[in-house]
Amino acid sequence: MTEKINERTITVALAGAPNTGKSTVFNLLTGLSQHVGNWPGKTVEQKTGIVRRSNLTMNIVDLPGTYSLTANSAEEQIARDYLIKENPDVVVAVLNAASLERNLYLVAELIELSPRLVIALNMMDVAQQQGMKVDVKALSKELNIQVIPIIASKNQGIDELLAAIEQEYSQPLGSRDLKHIEYGTEVQKVIDYVAQLLDDAMTAPYPKHWTAMKLLEGDTQINKMIMGRAADEQSSSLESYLWEHESAAVTIATLRYAWVEKMMAVTQEKPPLGRVSLTERIDRVATHPISGLFILLLVLCLIFGLVYSIGLPIQKLLEVHLVESSHTFVSAHLNAPTWVKGLLANGIISGVGTVLTFIPILMLFFAAWAFMEDVGYTARAAFVTDKFMHSLGLHGKSVLPLVLGFGCNVPAILGTRIIDSPRSRLLTILLTPLIPCTARMAVITLIAAAFFGNAAIFVSIGIIIFSLIMLVITGLIMNHFVVGGEDSALLMELPLYHLPNPKIIGLVTWQNTVAFIKRAGTIILSVSVIIWMLSFIPNGDINTSLLSSIGKFLEPLGRLMGLNWQMMVALLSSFIAKENTLATLGTLTGGQGVALTAQLKTMLTPASALAFLVVQVLFIPCVATVAAIRSETKTWRWPLFTIAYQLVLSFVMAIIVFQIARLL
Amino acid sequence: MDSERTEEYLEAIYKEQNKGNPASTSFLARDLGVSQPAVTNMLKNLENKGLIDYKSSKGATLTDTGVEKALGVIRQHRLWERFLTDILGMKWDKVHEVACKLEHLDVPEVEERLAILLGDTDTCPHGHAIPDKDGNIKAEKAIPLINFNPLQRVNIIAIDESDSGLLRDIEKKGLKPQVIITIKKKNEDGSLEIEAGKKRIRLNTKQAEALLAESIALNKSATKEEITLSKLDAGYSGILKEYTGERNLLGRCLSLGFTPGSVVKMLENYNSGPVLVKVHDTAVALGRDLADHITVTRNGTA
Repeated sequence: MTEKINERTITVALAGAPNTGKSTVFNLLTGLSQHVGNWPGKTVEQKTGIVRRSNLTMNIVDLPGTYSLTANSAEEQIARDYLIKENPDVVVAVLNAASLERNLYLVAELIELSPRLVIALNMMDVAQQQGMKVDVKALSKELNIQVIPIIASKNQGIDELLAAIEQEYSQPLGSRDLKHIEYGTEVQKVIDYVAQLLDDAMTAPYPKHWTAMKLLEGDTQINKMIMGRAADEQSSSLESYLWEHESAAVTIATLRYAWVEKMMAVTQEKPPLGRVSLTERIDRVATHPISGLFILLLVLCLIFGLVYSIGLPIQKLLEVHLVESSHTFVSAHLNAPTWVKGLLANGIISGVGTVLTFIPILMLFFAAWAFMEDVGYTARAAFVTDKFMHSLGLHGKSVLPLVLGFGCNVPAILGTRIIDSPRSRLLTILLTPLIPCTARMAVITLIAAAFFGNAAIFVSIGIIIFSLIMLVITGLIMNHFVVGGEDSALLMELPLYHLPNPKIIGLVTWQNTVAFIKRAGTIILSVSVIIWMLSFIPNGDINTSLLSSIGKFLEPLGRLMGLNWQMMVALLSSFIAKENTLATLGTLTGGQGVALTAQLKTMLTPASALAFLVVQVLFIPCVATVAAIRSETKTWRWPLFTIAYQLVLSFVMAIIVFQIARLL
Repeated sequence: MDSERTEEYLEAIYKEQNKGNPASTSFLARDLGVSQPAVTNMLKNLENKGLIDYKSSKGATLTDTGVEKALGVIRQHRLWERFLTDILGMKWDKVHEVACKLEHLDVPEVEERLAILLGDTDTCPHGHAIPDKDGNIKAEKAIPLINFNPLQRVNIIAIDESDSGLLRDIEKKGLKPQVIITIKKKNEDGSLEIEAGKKRIRLNTKQAEALLAESIALNKSATKEEITLSKLDAGYSGILKEYTGERNLLGRCLSLGFTPGSVVKMLENYNSGPVLVKVHDTAVALGRDLADHITVTRNGTA
């Protein structure tokens, strides 16, 4: 046995349902050796990593969390395509011992593919807390599969799991007599009949019988593939047979659950009934329509409090000590032509600065996010807000990203990954830029204060409410006219609450931050450089630059909103970062920040100031947000759409507001 | 204790008598694990108390007082069994022995409260009827499965619980009370091939004798109220009947365990917005639209 596996590299796939702690197992196995990317052609995250064990190198692939292997979602299709097409050497099914009944369903499906299978029975401690006794030996004997009890959150059982993988690999494929589910003669007859209508060429690379079963189960992807490959006559007879046996899907699933129930009878003792679990007790409050909303509000306040009290000071520090000081250093001490200094100071350093100053806030949001996911709260927040979100075509889970958007749109857009319906996710991404972030609110507050005196607070709040109304209207429009596809109903598991694992939260925060820098950083940097060039070319003076020409070119449009070319340029510059509006205005009006308020008063009337607030709050998202939209939707179509839509929306609304306000 | 012993005798005699024969001395000696002379002694004692009629040639039968007393013990035994499986979550092959000890507790208030706690259950986990508090018991019409013939459709009513190994084997085959089966083949030695839920199952002679069943025609199943899942109140549970919504969501519902026959317990239902249910051991949130398209039959509180 040992000679055979000398210096071998094998592939191990981790399969499992959501909420089984599969990613924790993966993180424990691979640590920082992991690589995060995307599955080819999909927006679903792909994680791979390496474990070395004496002579054996294991490439671990973390499959997306799935309840079954029928392609009801992109995740399920990826998982089963990987298992069939890539043929991993060993498959590890990670199960949650506390909801074994649900998780064994996936095992039933995995057995049908006859891989080398090892079961990692995770969360043994949680199961015990719930008063469930799982007889690991009996389960292993019944299934004829190695079952390794582990507690991933406490790092227990991982070595045993690796040993089991190695041992399983040493066995020739198919040597274990896996106990396939018996579907009974009648169902088997139906499956056989469908298989007869197929041939291997049609079903490749999928096994024929398996394909037949998936057709009966109503798997849309397999159906499309087969119907595409089959001759007309063949496909029509197949289709009518499948239609006749429409109920087979239900029968097959029911039989699988009957198999699961039988396994359960042998291996698990249920907890005493009278006992109400801690999760159920918390949920009575946390999912209640009133107290649940109150708790959600409290949680959000805590997150924002944390971000503002820790993140903002760090952000300020970075800005002053790193960005501004290197800015000053370059301008004062570097012996180079003006344009080189300008490019370095105003283009590159401010671009890098934008990325850099984002990081503390982003990390905090990511950490808060990972914490809520790990504890199990996100699903509850989704439950409480689902009704309202649903009316906008969104998912309950949309609420958290949207609310995070008030802090910064960027983590909000990255945070939409928790939404499993692709359609709701896209809608959420498209609506997020209409949430006024802190930077926009800062601009609004300052300008409102300059013009509206005591009423400034009401004007500011009014503008924010206005922006949210626009969001709701946009949501309704997009839901009905722009984004195609089926409305997605809420159907999700609420995991048991459990204590957060700091190691996992740290790792997730780190991964997300690195991913943001890699994906969005380059776009932000290049746009900063381009905007700087526009403000510099042709002769180094912003007042006569290309940027000002653009501003002057836009002046007729600006006049409709009561805005001069300086205001238009200030607006354009907010594309880099929303707070740039103020800085640009400062430069353009030649004065320093102190005199800006006075300068503004000479350029704007209250009506045009109001129009400016409207256009500012609805204007195209900042470049970091655009970059995030691009990286999350994997196409330029949606970021460009967002830019165009918000450009039109902001101008139209500002013109309307200005024209009405002028009459008053 | 003396009364405990008495109760065990009465119980054993009742069961044997229920099968149509008086309890012989040798049967009782075997069943209770005592010597024949000891049995004879005890039976005389019981006759003196007016609990049984005893003829040494035939055996013992219970008097009316004896029956009443035996049923009281049996009631407690079966209530305790229910308590052990349903409330304490023990497996059904372990509860008989424990209940044998608990049945002698005989505190009326405990018995009364136990009955309230268990609600309207009227059988023990093995399917035997529980006598009511006035000592009435539904006559057991079920007969051993071994007596049925091929092609008959029967409903499993009860299982003889004395052999825990046998119970485990039967459980592994997926058989329990209220499972409907069809006899497919009967062998010379009495072993059977049956079909349950479209699956072929083999039963050896011993198993076929231990399973008690009723022909399906005789068994009138009460029609229960059918409602949509969204109308089930929190705390109640139902048995899933079917999903009537859009086909594209069927797969997701099935893989999350919303299969016909599954027990669904409503955890939270505020009459608007999504509902929270427990199905196959996990809490699942369902949008109201979806819950409107799943029908269940109400099953009482669980």
